Amino acid sequence: MSLLCSGAIRQSATRKWASRTFIRCTSSYSDRDQKTTSFGFKTIPAHEKESMVKNVFDSVASNYDLMNDAMSLGVHRLWKDEFVSSLKPGRRGPMRCIDVAGGTGDIALRLLDFAREKYADRETSVEVVDINAQMLKEGHRRFKQTMYHNTPQVSFHEANAQELPVEKFIDNSYDLYTIAFGIRNCTSIPDVLKEAYRVLKPGATFACLEFNKVTNPLLGPIYDQYSFSVIPLLGTLLTGDRASYQYLVESIRKFPSQPEFAQMIRDAGFVTGKDIDGAAWNNLWGGVACIHTGVKV
Amino acid sequence: MSASSLKRTQLLKIATSLVKTHGFTREALARSVLYLPNQKHVESKQDNEDCQPLSDTAVSSLFGFGDAARTTLIHAWLDEGINHMSNSSQPARNVSDVLHTRLDWNEPVLGYLPEAFALLSTPNPSWLSLQFDPLPALKHAHRIADEAAYLSMDTSRELAWYARRISLAGIYSAAELHQLTSPSTAHSFLDSLLTGSSSLEQKLGDVMLYSDYVYKSWKGILKSRGML
Repeated sequence: MSLLCSGAIRQSATRKWASRTFIRCTSSYSDRDQKTTSFGFKTIPAHEKESMVKNVFDSVASNYDLMNDAMSLGVHRLWKDEFVSSLKPGRRGPMRCIDVAGGTGDIALRLLDFAREKYADRETSVEVVDINAQMLKEGHRRFKQTMYHNTPQVSFHEANAQELPVEKFIDNSYDLYTIAFGIRNCTSIPDVLKEAYRVLKPGATFACLEFNKVTNPLLGPIYDQYSFSVIPLLGTLLTGDRASYQYLVESIRKFPSQPEFAQMIRDAGFVTGKDIDGAAWNNLWGGVACIHTGVKV
Repeated sequence: MSASSLKRTQLLKIATSLVKTHGFTREALARSVLYLPNQKHVESKQDNEDCQPLSDTAVSSLFGFGDAARTTLIHAWLDEGINHMSNSSQPARNVSDVLHTRLDWNEPVLGYLPEAFALLSTPNPSWLSLQFDPLPALKHAHRIADEAAYLSMDTSRELAWYARRISLAGIYSAAELHQLTSPSTAHSFLDSLLTGSSSLEQKLGDVMLYSDYVYKSWKGILKSRGML
């Protein structure tokens, strides 16, 4: 608890600045006539979303696990395990993977561990890409505690998922593209999907783990209550940053539903299974989280 | 149908043609992509590095995890069997020719069929106390019987419609089971069943007529007593 308090104090200047920037951005919207997008429940100029999301993640980077634990009561670890085990990295030999918006390295570490433990694969590699340098720094720090540090199996790159640099992320070069709890923070989801399609090899898989619409009518109201009441309160208590946590909760509600997102994946050129749970997507915990997959054929 | 659905359907169709060499396996589904027309996989067959079957993840994504993908393939193959019956038929063929055509469809994959049917009959979810789910087998037989009756321009009506289809389903199921154990005598067995069935059909029709008579009698009695 004392560690949390000192961490909160250390980050207080950054958070206050982020909060002021957050408020300033929403109040200046009415003066512009531009393409807009959602930032949680607010509508903002599209060009501002990137910096605002960046501020949120700058604020939460050092307590990212705490944030995820608060939002999902620790269940996010199980979802990530399920996500990676469903992909079976390394089953058919070494794979070249790209994990986008994976700054802290959660998914990358799981991919490498799975390939190593299940298939004795030490050649599978993961390139971790994130737009946020703080998140990448956190991921790099975590990987220093593992056997993959300073090996060709993992590398970190700062880049925008909507516009991956062509010279570094070449067309048709990856066997697996993963993005976990990150795509809803992007300004243009179709652009992210388009880039994913570009960099994947023919026959490769796109996989996305994301919070989604709860389909269970009993669980839905309970989940809503927890999301809008408890999570922002936890954000205030644990990190003193209610606005960031409020955004994170609202952004989940603004994300397309399971069939809509599956259609967006198909629009980007991927082939998916049928539009039902268990095919084009796989609901976890009644839709609280969801795994969408598509194949570049 | 979207381009994505079309491609998935194409892959499934190609996979059904690979069943005779690879069986009802995920391998057949994975290799289907190699035979897609106008694809990089085919264009670059010279370069073995680019010519790769679909990964396990991709097969799971498109067709389902584990045995669900195999079940999808089996259903697709059975659908192709129905299409084969239609495509091979000429106008006003008799039901015997249609059923023989369907038995011919089984011949290239006879070795894989017992496992395929067993997989279809596995109850889902498997924690149910049922050891065997008969519904897929009944649906399979009914579909073939219905298609055979339609292609032979069957004009049965009312109860005779059902009697005809139940009879044909029973005949085909017996012939198919016989084919799994003795492929060389399957066609003659089917012929003998069809010959014997005509009398069975008549008996079934008589039973249904009698049942109808009894029902109407009781209905009249109850009405006359003011109970209806």
